[in-house]
Amino acid sequence: MLFIGFMGIGTTLLLALLWAPSVSINAFESPAAQRIFYWHVPAAWAAFIAFGALFVGSAGWLFKRSEWMWRLHVAGSEAGLATGLMAVWSGCVWGAAEWGTPWDWTDVRLNSFGLLTLLAIYVVLGRNSQPDGVETRDTFAAFGLYGFVLVPLTYIATRIWTIRHPGPVVATGDGSSINSDMGLVLLIGAVSFTVFIIGHMMTSMRLTALEQRLERMQHRFDGGA
Amino acid sequence: MAPPRTMAKALLSLVDVQVRRGMNTVLEDCSLLVEAGQTVVLTGANGAGKSTLLETAAGLLPMERGRVQHDHVVVADAEGRRRKSPFTVGMVLQRNGMLGGEVLAEHLQAAMSMSGHSVELDPFLKRFNLMHRANDLVAHLSQGQARKVAVLAGLLPAFASPTPALIILDEPDAGLDEASIDILGRWMNELRTMGHALLVATHDERMMAQATHLYDVDQGKFQTTTAPPEERIENRTSRPTKPLSPAAFGVKMHLRTMMWLNTNAMAGLLTLGILLALGDFMDDLDRLQQMGFILAPTLAVGLCGDPLVAALREERAGVWWRAVGGGEPHAGWIPLAIGAVFTFLTTNGLRDGREMHIVLAGAVLCFLVWHSVGWMQRSTQRLARPHAVFVGLLTPVLILPYSVLISVLS
Repeated sequence: MLFIGFMGIGTTLLLALLWAPSVSINAFESPAAQRIFYWHVPAAWAAFIAFGALFVGSAGWLFKRSEWMWRLHVAGSEAGLATGLMAVWSGCVWGAAEWGTPWDWTDVRLNSFGLLTLLAIYVVLGRNSQPDGVETRDTFAAFGLYGFVLVPLTYIATRIWTIRHPGPVVATGDGSSINSDMGLVLLIGAVSFTVFIIGHMMTSMRLTALEQRLERMQHRFDGGA
Repeated sequence: MAPPRTMAKALLSLVDVQVRRGMNTVLEDCSLLVEAGQTVVLTGANGAGKSTLLETAAGLLPMERGRVQHDHVVVADAEGRRRKSPFTVGMVLQRNGMLGGEVLAEHLQAAMSMSGHSVELDPFLKRFNLMHRANDLVAHLSQGQARKVAVLAGLLPAFASPTPALIILDEPDAGLDEASIDILGRWMNELRTMGHALLVATHDERMMAQATHLYDVDQGKFQTTTAPPEERIENRTSRPTKPLSPAAFGVKMHLRTMMWLNTNAMAGLLTLGILLALGDFMDDLDRLQQMGFILAPTLAVGLCGDPLVAALREERAGVWWRAVGGGEPHAGWIPLAIGAVFTFLTTNGLRDGREMHIVLAGAVLCFLVWHSVGWMQRSTQRLARPHAVFVGLLTPVLILPYSVLISVLS
């Protein structure tokens, strides 16, 4: 699945750079840089899927004590970090070309998404700094839940506090604002990133399961129970 | 298995408790009952779970299953509910649970005040040969002397309390000389005679001799033993006193050690210094930008968090306060004062004005940011390596209230 996702993302890039129609020079300061939108939007979409998995995994660990849910927490945080960084840096590049500044501290949507990505970095680095155990899992699962509060905030921010960052172009409820060819490339990108992120999380969960098995074997060799 | 119930009041009940630490289940289906006038001594090999049981009994550790009751009040349960104990709780941890910056007598008075009462300190200090050290800092004591202070801090609240108290002692004999262990045994006997309940973990035969019951943590078995005859050693007069709150203690420590100067104030001063070095630039800015610069040093002060959090890791002082004082000490109103001073300095330095509403806003900003970062720092206390966590990565969330505040002020 991971491989199919990679192939899809590669195809999206090729289509975005070579096939997708150019945008009007009257509507954009930097029409060439607009093509990064085919990467930026699907990456942000995939990040929301990953952060959703982080939330479900965190809640599942805290309330059900499920090992599978803990693995979902780990996978969600790592995938959220990867795709969150993709969305943030692609946004910075686009912003630098279009607005003349890579970051706008007054834009709530931009900042809340940045904070969500920072939280993913915190959870991944923090968890890796600790030995695995119930204390580590409880603490970072609690932060996983806390982080998800930022997701609806970001969602609301796209609709209320659109200052510099453009509003949503699809699923707005009153028809899409982009033409069919652009929509097709965006759709391929969204599907590819979705497949990629699911593959990434499945691989990550498998890796975590193997790490846990290795730890149990090491513990047995240590002479523990 | 719990000891047979008598007519005495049950001060502590653990009901079907399961506790995990790391990847191991340390306590499984553990039930224990300690009544007034009993001394229950926990036995078992190293790693059997004695300290875990004691800290669970004090409501310090989260449980996977079960509950801990002090009388009929559930002080902790597996659902995460927490309530303050209705009893005076005395606690001796394996670490000494006090800061090096505390004065010996003050620490003991603070411990006693948790019971709402106090007794004369001098006889206790004399028995432990600490009278000449009463006004010394804890940091200046030897390890053995510091251990004596920690033991006294665990026992004195019960000596002062006119009502039954729960005393939890984790290897109180460790590091004490022979004479001190003998005195400790007699005090334990006296406390049992007074109707208090003691729960003790030890490997020392002389401590075990004080037990009315032995509890084998490995096997989960209770055994009634023959304790020494009850005796009352000294008559003490207990007088009411006001309990010292964790916040009052935190403020006192901040004022005494000036720990805020090393971190928070230096960050603020450096930021202010950089702004002043930029020269006359404020006139070219709009009101929003001016506010952003004026409040920047105050924000820097708050973003450093509460230095007391790191200090309280020393000898697990924060854990001791949670057990006996109901919460961890914090800086209280100190950030308000520091925030007001820094905002006042910045408004004068950059704008040559004294707008009191900006000073007030700066004080509130500093208070909120300081305590928010302090909360973030405290949220990692349960971890094996709390210092290794990247708490700083969470602080950018505080840009949002800062942005809102400068928007409102401009």
